[in-house]
Amino acid sequence: MRLTLDVLRQFTDLPADVREARILLDEVGLEVKRIDPSGPGVPVTLELLANRGDHHCLTGLAREVTGRTGGTVNFPSFTPLVVGDAPHPIRVETPLCAVYSLTLLELPRPVRQVVPSAADLAAALDGDDDLSLEDDVDLLEDDGGASGPAVVVGSLSDADRARLEACGLRPIHPVVDATNLANLELGQPTHAFDADKITGPITVRLSRAGESCLPLFQTERVELPEGTLVIADDVKILALAGVIGCEDSKTDEATTRVLLEAAAFDPVAVRKASRALSIHTDSSARFERGSDFAAVLPGASRVAGLLADAGWSVKGTTGVVSSWSDPGRVVRFDAEACRRFLGIDEDDLELYTRLERYGFELVDQGVRVPTHRLWDIEYPADLYEEIAKSIGYDNTPIGLPAIDMGGLPTHAESVRDVVADVLVGQGFYEVITDGFHGRDLPEQLGFVGYHPLAAHVETANAIDRAYSLLKNEALGAAIEGVAANGRMKHDEVKAFEFTRTFHPDSSAPNGVCTERNVLWAIVSGSERPRTWAGTSRSADASWLKGVVEEIGLALKLPLTVGAADASYPIGSALHPGRQASILLSGRTVGALGEVHPGVVAAFKIKRARPVYFEIALDTLVAEPASKPFTEPPRVPPVERDLAFTLANGVEGGTVAALLRASGPAWLGRVAIVDLFAHEEDGRAVRTLTFRLFYDNEEGNRTADEMNQATEALIAVVTDKLGASGVKLRV
Amino acid sequence: MSKPDVEAMLASFRADLAAAADLTALDEVRRAHAGKASPLKGALKGLKALSAEEKPVFASVVNAAQEAVEAELASAKLTLEAAELERRLLSEWSDLTLPGVATPRGARHPVTQVEARCMEVLRRLGFTLVDGPEVEHPFYNFDALNIPEHHPARDMQDTFWVSGGLLLRSHTTTVQARVLEERAKDLKAGKDVLPIRVASMGRVYRNEAVDATHLAMFHQFEGIWIDKGLTFAHLKGTLAFVARALFGETRRVRFKPKFYPYTEPSVGVDVSCGVCDGAGCEACHGAGWVTILGAGMVHPKVFAQFGYDPEQVSGIAFGLGTTRMAAQTTGITKIRSLYEPDLRTLSSLHRGL
Repeated sequence: MRLTLDVLRQFTDLPADVREARILLDEVGLEVKRIDPSGPGVPVTLELLANRGDHHCLTGLAREVTGRTGGTVNFPSFTPLVVGDAPHPIRVETPLCAVYSLTLLELPRPVRQVVPSAADLAAALDGDDDLSLEDDVDLLEDDGGASGPAVVVGSLSDADRARLEACGLRPIHPVVDATNLANLELGQPTHAFDADKITGPITVRLSRAGESCLPLFQTERVELPEGTLVIADDVKILALAGVIGCEDSKTDEATTRVLLEAAAFDPVAVRKASRALSIHTDSSARFERGSDFAAVLPGASRVAGLLADAGWSVKGTTGVVSSWSDPGRVVRFDAEACRRFLGIDEDDLELYTRLERYGFELVDQGVRVPTHRLWDIEYPADLYEEIAKSIGYDNTPIGLPAIDMGGLPTHAESVRDVVADVLVGQGFYEVITDGFHGRDLPEQLGFVGYHPLAAHVETANAIDRAYSLLKNEALGAAIEGVAANGRMKHDEVKAFEFTRTFHPDSSAPNGVCTERNVLWAIVSGSERPRTWAGTSRSADASWLKGVVEEIGLALKLPLTVGAADASYPIGSALHPGRQASILLSGRTVGALGEVHPGVVAAFKIKRARPVYFEIALDTLVAEPASKPFTEPPRVPPVERDLAFTLANGVEGGTVAALLRASGPAWLGRVAIVDLFAHEEDGRAVRTLTFRLFYDNEEGNRTADEMNQATEALIAVVTDKLGASGVKLRV
Repeated sequence: MSKPDVEAMLASFRADLAAAADLTALDEVRRAHAGKASPLKGALKGLKALSAEEKPVFASVVNAAQEAVEAELASAKLTLEAAELERRLLSEWSDLTLPGVATPRGARHPVTQVEARCMEVLRRLGFTLVDGPEVEHPFYNFDALNIPEHHPARDMQDTFWVSGGLLLRSHTTTVQARVLEERAKDLKAGKDVLPIRVASMGRVYRNEAVDATHLAMFHQFEGIWIDKGLTFAHLKGTLAFVARALFGETRRVRFKPKFYPYTEPSVGVDVSCGVCDGAGCEACHGAGWVTILGAGMVHPKVFAQFGYDPEQVSGIAFGLGTTRMAAQTTGITKIRSLYEPDLRTLSSLHRGL
């Protein structure tokens, strides 16, 4: 809400010092978002509390301030309208309008109304600055009567116009200005119809199917959702109740008779209409938060008073149709409970005095809630809040409750930290990607048709198409990350994320989907960035496999990488010859591999060959496996190297496993220490060097024994794998 | 037989020693003059040909010569070793102005760093972390939290709805609602569930037009503390502890009225601006304060919703935007960039450009 401190000072006292005034407003819940201490009148913008419709006017703000300061609220003076026969037939056909009133105001005779500028006014008055506006009207009416059609210069007083302008409202028409000012002052929106444009009774009702209207300031008619709360006559919609009037019945320069509407509308009905048509006005802002139903007539009276000053007069009495009466809500108030709740020691009288400042009335068993607070005061805690505001939140006692002991991270939290520590240590950056998929992503990944990842949980109402599918896999976002970095010529990518994916599942407890926590990591480029010391090898699937193994070691879990599982959903987006399963105790919990070249191309990645892994995160929360400690040998092992040439497609792990399984008990370890890719007889082959570590703890193993064991291993490998294309390289 | 000329032997040794330029040459000199085949060893072997009177005299001369040789060899060795070390050190100069070449570490995301810090602080107060679903039933997102049917937050434009009448949670308070419901069952079963001290954090969603400062997905962190006898003073004490632990012990804290449907009274927590220390500057829009937390006493309607007696228990609830806090702590102004996998940004935050 925009206003100036000077205008607010017209309604209650504020500290003279701007900074102190600002602190006061902040402390009572009228948060100052902007302030210009050197601007005219000290302009401020307040952020009002969402549940306090009564704050949306100057007297409401003043009332909040006086609750703290104990000062007084200066209400504008007006003569109450006389309620009687309606000046125009009223029909209220819906309970969504609790109070509806109409007051007829007329200019004294058919005259032309001019919206004056200061220059116009000066010219009309011939520079006579001493005349008041009322004098002006009289003067011009008299003159008009003598020499032809009268011209009435109707306007609010300079002070009222300045008040409007200080609050960001531009004076445009005396009738409109009067309704705006009354709303600004008292928080009661009103609307004026040109009485000569009304056909038949004014009806408050719900719109029917297919009805449309032309709201003010719009260029095209809008179709109304059926059931919108409207004001209508026999032939047209006059206004969207509580939101905005319509062009067909608006007041203009030719208007000489207005029907002034003041009403109380249902907040939800107003909000629905406002949101459905995307029309937001000061009026709708007020009604949406719940208006003061008792303020209808005071609001209308204030408008009538302002217009009377501009030459208009009320004709007849004000008609009111009301189904509302003050419920006289009483909220129990236990002073002792309040003292306990806030930790204060004020006596009962002090507490009641504070509540009275806000308009609460002490009655038996509690306090009676004023009509302007019926929307937000319901419980004793609501009253405690008023007391706390009155004292000042910073002035009530403060203290920590007794704390028995601190807590520890859960195992799931620790697992994440351990995993992240491994990855960060290997140079990975944690990223956070969206929880959504764009519509194009499944196609880029080839997850369409009957693919198990083709189905998504979909959002029903996303404003942006990019947020229409909930993410059901993490690979796409990972590849997109590589692509995005590549577009910035940043080719060295190591990224990981703890994310969550959503999977359609009608058998899930919520009937819609299950959620899975996923750890993924992607690497593209080299194992470590190029430096002046040279480049390192490319970070390929083998390197990433090592990272996975490090994670397993750090978590003390039997996490291994084994043969690819053909049923793993993202497998089709990975290189068929460079992918594997990630296993935990033999069960597939993830996948690892180079991204399929076709997918890489679909993401328009030119040079990079990203490698990716993902693990079902919740599986890593398994209990760590306890491993018995084995004392290292006190004497160094004896080493023997064996080089086998393997036909392409034969896995080195198979040979290593056979060596391990076939060696004597004192074969401590088998390591692969070299790989040489070459051609043999025109075929691509690989020669791997296996290093055998023989334990010789007692020092009694002879060289002959070890040589014999090695020969035996050569025989086993040759015998069992020779047919597969494995032979000893001599 | 004439006696060997020990003096000549020594003279020969010293000439060779003076010519030895390195340890290898010195080793040659040692073998030649102190080894088994050296002239001095040969002289000792000739002792037996001497008379009984001459033997001790000549032996003494030879031994003295041997000792002199050994001493001079040792001294020369030290000198040559020092010289050789000097040469080696000179030849091994490294240009340590060049950048280090260790594998550079990566880094956790700024948002998770903030989350970790928040949990660290709350654990000191006995809080534990609880997780919850992101696809939620509207009951936990709205109704249970006193956000009635007509509240603007329920509008289609603000909330992502999915099939089955479910939605994407718009705040992490849903987890608190679930915890309250779950513990209420224990309470009804006669179990002592108090105090309840849980924190929740994670992704939340808002169906908004996305730009540099508005996101469809961001992160929140919340805590709830339910017990007998918790008061407004305890709320303030807890919030001040959390605020100072997160933002610095020297920061001043102030409380101001706010509105949240699920708390009453509701409180906004400001800390003195870290840039101007409360004097008012551009960063804090002249206020001298920066809002960091939203909080309040758990609303009686929320308690009633799950069957707790608000006369018997009270609660403290608070939350903060971890995305916003990460932006504040890193200086990032366009929060969208926190959710883009641009490693240049993350690397820059961690190690500078």
